[in-house]
Amino acid sequence: MSVQPGFAPPPEDLGAVGSVLAEPKSATIPLHKLAPEAALRRLELTIVRRLEGFLHGDHQGLLPGPGSEANDARAYVPGQDDVRKIDWAVTARTTVPHVRDTIADRELEIWALLDVTPSMNWGTEGVTKRDLGIAAIATIGFLSQKMGDRFGGLIMRPDEIKRLPAQSGRTALYGLLRRMLTEPIVSDHTTGPYTLAAGVQRLARAERRRGMRVVVSDFLTPGDFELDANVAPEWERPMRELAVRNQVLAVEVVDRHEVEFADVGELLIRDPETDFERYVNTSDEAARERMDAATAAQRERVRVALRRAGAAHIQLRTDRDWVHDIARFVLAYRRTAGMLHQPPAGVTK
Amino acid sequence: MIEWPPTFVNPERLWVLALIPLMIAGYIFLVLRKKKTGMRFTNTSILGRVVPKQSQWRRHLAVALSLAAMFALSFAWARPNGIEMVPRERATVVLVIDVSQSMQATDVKPSRLDAAKAAALTFIKALPSQYNVSLVSLAGNPSVRLPPTTDRVQATQAINGLKLQDSTSVGEAVYTALAALQLAPKGTDSSPAPGAVVLLSDGQNTAGRSPMQSAAEAKTQGVPIYTIAYGTDNGYVDLDGKRERVPPDKELLTNIANTSGGQMYTAEDLGQLDKVYNNIRSEVGQTPVKKETTALWAGYGLAFAVVAALAAVSLGARWP
Repeated sequence: MSVQPGFAPPPEDLGAVGSVLAEPKSATIPLHKLAPEAALRRLELTIVRRLEGFLHGDHQGLLPGPGSEANDARAYVPGQDDVRKIDWAVTARTTVPHVRDTIADRELEIWALLDVTPSMNWGTEGVTKRDLGIAAIATIGFLSQKMGDRFGGLIMRPDEIKRLPAQSGRTALYGLLRRMLTEPIVSDHTTGPYTLAAGVQRLARAERRRGMRVVVSDFLTPGDFELDANVAPEWERPMRELAVRNQVLAVEVVDRHEVEFADVGELLIRDPETDFERYVNTSDEAARERMDAATAAQRERVRVALRRAGAAHIQLRTDRDWVHDIARFVLAYRRTAGMLHQPPAGVTK
Repeated sequence: MIEWPPTFVNPERLWVLALIPLMIAGYIFLVLRKKKTGMRFTNTSILGRVVPKQSQWRRHLAVALSLAAMFALSFAWARPNGIEMVPRERATVVLVIDVSQSMQATDVKPSRLDAAKAAALTFIKALPSQYNVSLVSLAGNPSVRLPPTTDRVQATQAINGLKLQDSTSVGEAVYTALAALQLAPKGTDSSPAPGAVVLLSDGQNTAGRSPMQSAAEAKTQGVPIYTIAYGTDNGYVDLDGKRERVPPDKELLTNIANTSGGQMYTAEDLGQLDKVYNNIRSEVGQTPVKKETTALWAGYGLAFAVVAALAAVSLGARWP
């Protein structure tokens, strides 16, 4: 007669839990598991803001493809841009090769900013926050796969921002997602000029075409311990700037144990970004309660700041089904988007 | 009391102390390695504000105390020697036995010296065991034959080992006896040990300082001298083929006794000698004795280990 132990063996696949101890080496989710493409076909992201293309009407147009209307000049990216599009006049004036973008008419252009700073390489459930963010981008990307709509991405590393050009079609979307998944993991304590605020500012200034902007981040600012919702976080102003011309969707990714501080005894806690190092007795019930209360206040401040900036806000958790959460959000969004994305007074829709 | 640096019975065992620096190095290595591990956590700006700083001193204290315990126990294992103060009776009776040639006179059977020895042996047998006995031989060059001790066997051997010598210097012998009293166990202050001198002699002073002067000195030091005269007026000794009369100088002995506050006895009333030690006040002094202090160091080690264990227990998050 065998005695059953009172505990279950640990699961074969520990998922992203290893990221608690050391930075992950690669993505924790394969490409084909990012989003159920077929299931998402019937959902549609409501677009309420007016898009570019003054001759061709609103979003529900039919004409595909890049347009013929000249837009801003931007720096030439080797390998991404067609050499034939180089604007020689601008290049000659600036001595830096520039291309002249063209305005594609009236199709939706979505740009997703993915925060891949070291604090995103963390997760105690199946996936890390970074990979959950990529999955959210995939889900939103598949939701917006309408004829002619283009999807581009910015990968915000602390040291540089990588631009993945906006292209239409599901193959291009898969390419973008693969690029995001295979993007080398940012090692801990990497320093650089880019914070979330700088990334959002870059998104607002570099991509001039009106459209939809998705900002995927944990919205945590290293060293910011403010809990008062009336104090604006440093990224609020760029977000507001972004929302003036675009419909902004903020995807906040959190892990369960960021919200519920875990009881794991006394141990050294390090921050992947700052030089914070401290022994913390996590078994202290009162301290955990204080921590949970402070985290709740911090999340509330994020929510309020995003609402003030006029961005739609969806919170995804690594321990939940993000497709389900996004689908629920999209269904509710149909009714609330019009109200939510009221442009600031004096700005046309 | 611990002598520093202590000497050891097994000094080679001290090599285990070399393990302690190794352990310290290992501990520092582990601390540094732990700094590299630890848990990553994203929201530390809030955490640092909310969660109290966990001080590390208890952890280091536990390790330091464990090492201290190891140090003390290693010492104990090497069996260190220390000096321990042993309480000892200070009261001392100094026996001064005349061993001059005149003491071989046989007017007292079997001879004056043997009679004096027998009397001395009888006396120390009767002397309560806590009193120290010292022995001074009285001759031209008086010397301390036995420093103050309670060991009666040694005293008996010293008395039996006395040999005849030339000349007689009663005064010097009293001074020597007073010096022997200084050898008694030291007290808490520098006061001289309480004592008495029993002088067994026939009294013929032939050399050295004046006996009366020495008696006066004994008086100032509060040491009574009890004298016992041996011999009869008809006593003689044959020295170098020449017969010499050696009558005892009872007058001198009486004077010495009276001057110093003691008493003169004759060989016949030896039974009254208990007065000698009955008049000495008892006083306890302390003598340093070299002794193994293993237990002391083991006790230190145990104390350190207990405190280290308590510190380690207090580190546990779930302190009851």
